[in-house]
Amino acid sequence: MEENINQDLQKELRREAIKRNWQLFKQSKLGMIGLYIVIFFLFLALLQPFLFITGIWNKGVYDPVVGYEPIKDTLLVVECPKEYPTEKYESYSDCPAKGEVNIKKLYMAPGVEVGDMYETFIQPAPPSRRHLLGTDSLGRDIFSQIMEGSQVAFILGLLSATLGVGISTILGTIAAFFGGRIDAYLMRQSDLILMLPSLPLLFIISAFAELKVWHLAVVLGVLGGLGGSVITIKSQALQVKVKPFVDSARITGGSNMKILFSHVLPNVAPLALLFMVFSVTGAIASESVLSFLGLLNIDMSWGIMIYLSQTDGFIFSGMRYWWLILPAGLAVTFLAGGFYLVGRGLDDVFNPRLRKR
Amino acid sequence: MSKDVLVVKDLNMHYETLSGDVSAVKNVSFTVKEGESFGLVGESGCGKTSVAMSLLQLQADNAKISSGSIKLDGIEMVGMSESELRKVRWDGISIVFQGAMNAWNPVVKVGEQIREAIREHYPNNTKIQNTEKIESLFKMVGLDSTIMDRFPHELSGGMKQRAVIALALSCDPKVVIADEPTTALDVVIQDQILKEIKKVQELLGLSLIYISHDIAVIAEMTDKMAVMYAGSIVEKGPTSEIFANPQHSYTKSLLASTPSVVGDKVKLNSLEGEPPSLIDQIEGCSFAPRCPNRNTTCHPELDMELVEVGPDHFVDICSASRN
Amino acid sequence: MAEYIIRRTFQMTIVFFLFLVFSYLLFNAIPGNAFSSLLLNPNLPPDAYQRVLEIYGLDKPLLERTQMYIVNFFKGDFGYSYKYFPKTPIELIAERLPRTLMLFSIVNIVAFYTGFFIGKVLAWRRGSKAETWITVTSVFSYTVFYPWFALMMLWVFGYKLGWLPIGKFLYPEKWYDAPFDSDVVFTSMIKFTVVVSLIQFAAYLASRGIESLSLRRNIRFVSLIAIFIGSYFYWNNGEALLQKPYASDIAYHMILPVMVVTVVAFAGTALLTRTTMMEVLKEDYILTARAKGISQKRIRDRHAARTALLPVVTSFIFTIVTIIDGSVLTEQIFSWPGMGQLLLQSVLEEDIPVAMATFSFVGVFALIAHLLADVSYSYLDPRIRIKSQG
Ligand SMILES: Nc1ncnc2c1ncn2[C@@H]1O[C@H](COP(=O)(O)OP(=O)(O)OP(=O)(O)O)[C@@H](O)[C@H]1O
Ligand code: SF4
Ligand SMILES: [Mg+2]
Repeated sequence: MEENINQDLQKELRREAIKRNWQLFKQSKLGMIGLYIVIFFLFLALLQPFLFITGIWNKGVYDPVVGYEPIKDTLLVVECPKEYPTEKYESYSDCPAKGEVNIKKLYMAPGVEVGDMYETFIQPAPPSRRHLLGTDSLGRDIFSQIMEGSQVAFILGLLSATLGVGISTILGTIAAFFGGRIDAYLMRQSDLILMLPSLPLLFIISAFAELKVWHLAVVLGVLGGLGGSVITIKSQALQVKVKPFVDSARITGGSNMKILFSHVLPNVAPLALLFMVFSVTGAIASESVLSFLGLLNIDMSWGIMIYLSQTDGFIFSGMRYWWLILPAGLAVTFLAGGFYLVGRGLDDVFNPRLRKR
Repeated sequence: MSKDVLVVKDLNMHYETLSGDVSAVKNVSFTVKEGESFGLVGESGCGKTSVAMSLLQLQADNAKISSGSIKLDGIEMVGMSESELRKVRWDGISIVFQGAMNAWNPVVKVGEQIREAIREHYPNNTKIQNTEKIESLFKMVGLDSTIMDRFPHELSGGMKQRAVIALALSCDPKVVIADEPTTALDVVIQDQILKEIKKVQELLGLSLIYISHDIAVIAEMTDKMAVMYAGSIVEKGPTSEIFANPQHSYTKSLLASTPSVVGDKVKLNSLEGEPPSLIDQIEGCSFAPRCPNRNTTCHPELDMELVEVGPDHFVDICSASRN
Repeated sequence: MAEYIIRRTFQMTIVFFLFLVFSYLLFNAIPGNAFSSLLLNPNLPPDAYQRVLEIYGLDKPLLERTQMYIVNFFKGDFGYSYKYFPKTPIELIAERLPRTLMLFSIVNIVAFYTGFFIGKVLAWRRGSKAETWITVTSVFSYTVFYPWFALMMLWVFGYKLGWLPIGKFLYPEKWYDAPFDSDVVFTSMIKFTVVVSLIQFAAYLASRGIESLSLRRNIRFVSLIAIFIGSYFYWNNGEALLQKPYASDIAYHMILPVMVVTVVAFAGTALLTRTTMMEVLKEDYILTARAKGISQKRIRDRHAARTALLPVVTSFIFTIVTIIDGSVLTEQIFSWPGMGQLLLQSVLEEDIPVAMATFSFVGVFALIAHLLADVSYSYLDPRIRIKSQG
């Protein structure tokens, strides 16, 4: 009976606290910007399946991996001069200009001469009404790829962050509460993980085992969960451990488990949340790096988009093929940045020393 | 007659906050003479620290001195530029902050922190001169000279406090402000520190401004005193005169709540209620809501003014009571 | 403090053994047992086969093999590279390590200083327009997708503007008939850098005891000028004069990678410094310092920044490994022939002995960096020198 009232009261208090924290978070401008960015990408991630199911998008054309759209275009055949500048072109990179094609490229098509109009499929095609962000060199819709990439990012980021924070919270509280050898072992283990150069490690793992998104999420989660966050969570739990309410709970006969769940975990939770948000940033970046190096066995992601644009040589073609270069890179940057900003906002909430007045 | 070192006139200072302006210092005037020790007493939050900070022009970023004048040796300090102020600080006026425990930078040696102040104001001193100076200061406040090479966390609270006093004296200032220098110390140490300050003040012939909420300490430490309430001075005069013949109701209440001074075993009548919020504009007597002596002859709703009631003894009374 | 360092070193040694065991087991756990399958590689000369078999004790049980590996690690014996056959992994590493070290330390020092300086100024000018903009830029460069950013920079400076070389360690054409080996030149460059920093550091230490601030400043300034003049004479006389064009070629190739990594790496430090500085500026001792009449700049640098340095250094310790990660990527993108590139290539080409050796070395590297940072932290924070904590 009394217990119930107590619990209700606690729930009420917690709700109050959440409300207050939300108010505080709203005051952080950067944090709100971050939140908007995250929501925007979440929307993109959910939009794609919606478009496919409702049939607004045809899978054959818009599928991010196997979709294909033949876009025809007629180009003027020209011959690029050997020396620059000429009257028409200022430098090497200006020829062929828009709507033109160099005759040297057409050695496969006999009978074409300078001055002809040449009809061709253009891939990658620039943005159009049908393809908001254009297509890549295989005729696949970039916008759809971006959406797919954001699904991958969310799945990977949230999965690995949840796993990691789960592990480190459990281990951190264990280390704080049991101390002794367990603690010493866990601390050395954290030192080890902190010391491991994670990228080379991931290289090795992914070079020898074909990693899919799920595998990568588990690997990143475990690595993150065993590392430095255990130390921080442990020190937080140690602070909670010596607080009077834990003592009083112990005196009134609360079991260790109960104390852990009803007192310690809620107090460690803010820190854990913070870690989670920041580790999402890390996970997204790791995935992109590995895909970028061609080490992951997944079909589509932002990293792979950049990888393709690099291996196809478009990245050094400058801004002419901007739709191949900018969207994916900016997406990684912005989503990782969005999560980072949310983390900063949360930091403001949980760390009152930073508030202005 | 010794000359006036510090003359404060009609000082007004307020903090700009989100909920409105907090008038922490209202029309404060007082004079400190050479070698004299001046006490400022009042409840927590009445604006004592705000006065001290204004004297050094070190008030918080949201604080504004709206009017008034602070003259040190005849030189006006309100409106001085930052670089002029830097010369006056420590050399002219130094301060022992409330909560001096945190006055030390934890990662710099104590001696170095004192040396730094001397170096700033006496750039031509040699290292040996400075070391000797610090040694003599430490001796004066009863500290061993080896403390120079220690870090703040290696000192006890009392030692830190003594070292802070040495720090405050390091540039031979004309005026030293001591803002509740003994809070957070145990009673025995408090007593020692007070004696130390008194001794040093007499030895060096310093002008001292001693700030406290404890009127007993003020009685022990000062020649002249002022009583502050809600940002204004309500009574000021020679300490002995005020203790013998308190005029303002608030002073009387303060005295009544302090057994050691009054001597007889009176029942302590502690003050009821809270001081008024400094955000609201207060018309007339600010003490009226809590005043135990409020009677028909006084008119708390009228304008108040400091009036001389004895030799150098001023009291804040309503215009109707003036005659 | 000595006690702290000893204990930390001891702990790190334990961690290091854990690391060796872990990395061996990692390579061992690779599906299909990388060793045995690779030994079937027909390109492998038979004596290399024998050596590998011997060194890794592939016919022995797991525990014994792990022991052997650790012993061999300390002997520096990793067998032969599968790919560059008669060369051993250690030889390959000896060639690559200095290049990585140089890039890594320059980037770290530059990034740390700029980051700290910018963070400091940001906190000091809180609320100004410049602060907002620099903060936004820092957040951007902190979260920007690094390889992409590096490629864009490469495109801008290497292709579009053509100011800087597109990656690589040197121009091979230029070195075709060079009288020196590139490593010789590079070694003398490293020596030069080390000597210069030592002189500068010595001048700093020597001037610390001087009481007069202006004299102190002048001495530091003069030492800087002296170093400039000294370097001028050094590079224009004797052997160094002959090496100069080649040395400058290498230096020229270093600019872009250093710049790009710095831009990315400084932001974390800058942002953290800004927050800690803002906390520190509210401390009472800052008020004391102001009351003492100390100049604003000195309060900022000597009091606020000095204390704010502590958490910044702590987090720097934690991010050193991340920076190593970053330099692996950098080497890949800029074709900088260092340890990172070696590691990635050996992994991709399944050159197991080299991969193992490099990975262990990167581990040692991270360990030492970690320990150094730890020690310097204990120097910076006097409170840690006596207080011991787990
Ligand atoms: N930076 C600030 N911003 C807004 N209000 C302030 C600020 N500093 C002080 N105040 C307010 O000004 C009033 C006077 O404060 P002050 O610190 O001068 O009191 P005090 O007499 O020194 O009290 P105590 O004995 O507790 O030290 C208080 O009401 C306080 O809340
Ligand atoms: S004026 Fe009246 S109300 Fe105010 S303090 Fe004096 S007696 Fe009390
Ligand atoms: Mg005060």
